Amino acid sequence: MKAMTPEEEAANIVKGALGEYVLESKIPKPRRVYIHVKPEANKKAVSTLLQSFPCAIISTITGIDLGETIEINYHFWCGKAEVTIRTNVPKSKPKIETITDIIPGALLYEREVHDLLGVKFINHPNLARLLLPESWPENSYPLRKDWNPKHVGNLAYSLEKTITLGETRTEKNAGLLVNVIVGPQHPALHEPERFLFKLDGEIVVDVEPRLGYAHRGIEKGAERLMFFQDVHLIERVCGICNVAHTTCFCQAVETLGKIEVPPRAQYLRMIVHELNRIHSHLLLLGIVGLEIGFESLFQYLWRDREIVLDLTEKLTGNRVMAEYSTIGGVRRDLTPVLGDEIKRGLRKIKDRLSFYREIFQSDPTVELRTKGIGMLSEEKALKLCVVGPVARGSGVKSDVRKHDPYAAYEDAPFREVLYKDGDSWARLMVRLDEVGESIDIITWAVDNIPGGPFRTRVPRRMPKREALSRVEAPRGELIHFVRGNGTAYPERVKIRSPTLANIISFREMIRGCYVADIPAVLASLDPCFSCTDRMVFLDEKSGRKWVWTLNDLKARRRI
Amino acid sequence: MSPFSLSKWARLKSPWILHFNSGACNACDIEVVALLTPRYDVERFGVLLKATPRHADVLIATGPVTRQAALRLKRIYEQMPEPKFVIAVGTCASSGAPFKQCYNVLGGVDKVIPVDVYVPGCPPKPEAILYGVTKLLEKIKEAAE
Repeated sequence: MKAMTPEEEAANIVKGALGEYVLESKIPKPRRVYIHVKPEANKKAVSTLLQSFPCAIISTITGIDLGETIEINYHFWCGKAEVTIRTNVPKSKPKIETITDIIPGALLYEREVHDLLGVKFINHPNLARLLLPESWPENSYPLRKDWNPKHVGNLAYSLEKTITLGETRTEKNAGLLVNVIVGPQHPALHEPERFLFKLDGEIVVDVEPRLGYAHRGIEKGAERLMFFQDVHLIERVCGICNVAHTTCFCQAVETLGKIEVPPRAQYLRMIVHELNRIHSHLLLLGIVGLEIGFESLFQYLWRDREIVLDLTEKLTGNRVMAEYSTIGGVRRDLTPVLGDEIKRGLRKIKDRLSFYREIFQSDPTVELRTKGIGMLSEEKALKLCVVGPVARGSGVKSDVRKHDPYAAYEDAPFREVLYKDGDSWARLMVRLDEVGESIDIITWAVDNIPGGPFRTRVPRRMPKREALSRVEAPRGELIHFVRGNGTAYPERVKIRSPTLANIISFREMIRGCYVADIPAVLASLDPCFSCTDRMVFLDEKSGRKWVWTLNDLKARRRI
Repeated sequence: MSPFSLSKWARLKSPWILHFNSGACNACDIEVVALLTPRYDVERFGVLLKATPRHADVLIATGPVTRQAALRLKRIYEQMPEPKFVIAVGTCASSGAPFKQCYNVLGGVDKVIPVDVYVPGCPPKPEAILYGVTKLLEKIKEAAE
């Protein structure tokens, strides 16, 4: 008998546990499983899946308005396959049991679906607004198909609930805490986000972020444009990891239309994707230098980053917005002369890397400000479903390039960088080492790139199917879920950016740290709120109730 | 030299800037930060990036204005001391561009506060932003005379 593939195994486990509650299950392509269940059995399906795959994490929740019903898709990464559990709830009474008690990582995703589609998650600890402004009218859900901009009217300005947000805690020692509001305009990050820190003296006891300042409504906007136009809109979800977004979206649409991408285009995508990763990682390491008061490190790193930007400009035509991937291939070809130039430029960066590694490993300033600070244990990282360098800094294997290869990563030689420490320093070292791996990947790809065309013609209309695409963006796993409806316009585009998965862990990291550590710890997460806010945000605990005592604080205080 | 002309001279020789992102995608923001780094080194013209609106002469605004950030942008502008100037960096800040019809976007920065110089581009290169700053300085000089 043929051995069962991981996809079949996952489908069989859920089918075996639920019996007649499973309506349909299909495996459209390797490593993708869709299981349609009845709404009342939804929670059981999730818990069965989580018990059978202990390392499973929730990727996101997608809600789709189907007219009469609202379809809810729970996407899980089970180590070897992406399992989607699908269920339908009636639109007149959109209610479903929460899954946050079995997997706390779903807190924000449920809030997002509630905010934008109006699905009520029963027993969710806090179904407050996540992305939309506080003055947004009640019962107006922008992602529903019958939503009309007139519902909002001339809602011009809105002010978030400035103080009340912080008064929700009822601990006995709440009176001793001092609330400090940071943002949305603040010197540390160049993005608008507001944080309310609760301080006991110099120590952070809790934090409640408020997202939504950069929420533009791209998912709805994408439904209004044709697929090939959407590529340009999706590129602008985030200016730093733009290549990851376009590659992910194009892959999803190609799966949708069963379009074969030429191998040369796959290699070119990989080259630009890795150039993008180097630029993003050097940028972040520089910002951390700035946050810990090591400004010359920032200046050095950003000077070396210019080399990558020049190479990107030569290959794609633009320093930052690459506009490189397109449906069916890429826009420009790589000449052998440029290939040599890329290798030369990257060699320069590689030489500098040993210098930076020495700084990060032995400089006392870096050590004092990052080692042992902002701890996230491996167990917590799994529970909160973090992704990317944040997960790998805690020793969790999460590199999509390795475990769910796309483009030409199956052939490329590279290793997954893992650090066990779980502190800010480990997260930075993961990025520093990944720059070295990226340089190796690009050098290898330039040497081994196959010939042939770099783009194919594609139809504008896409069939009535769906596709889920994952890529490893510089900040972690990025997911696009695209559904077509037989026309040139998508029915639904869902984007889950890595920062939304990671921001939930900031609360875990910052508790017990000093006020002065806040910027460095936040920067070590590499938050990108432009990605995140295109849909969302947070302030939930992991379901656990806790009360800080003075002894707890003392135990965590560093002397 | 009177105190008035001294402050005018100082403003032209060293404009202090504040950067605020009201919903941008980060591309313009990182190009504004790139201005401070060794290749462009805008500090040699006396331009300093400040952390608070109360110290700033020039507001560099990036991104389309989202509903939630609109009031914040207005407040930041109001907190700046007179005379104050605004540079809208990027096509989004100039007109709202690709996000113009998105439900949470009001449009360009000029929907909320007056703008002196527009720098189009997606994102504009640091050289273009630098050119925008020099244009603004010319404008200030002309107005002063």
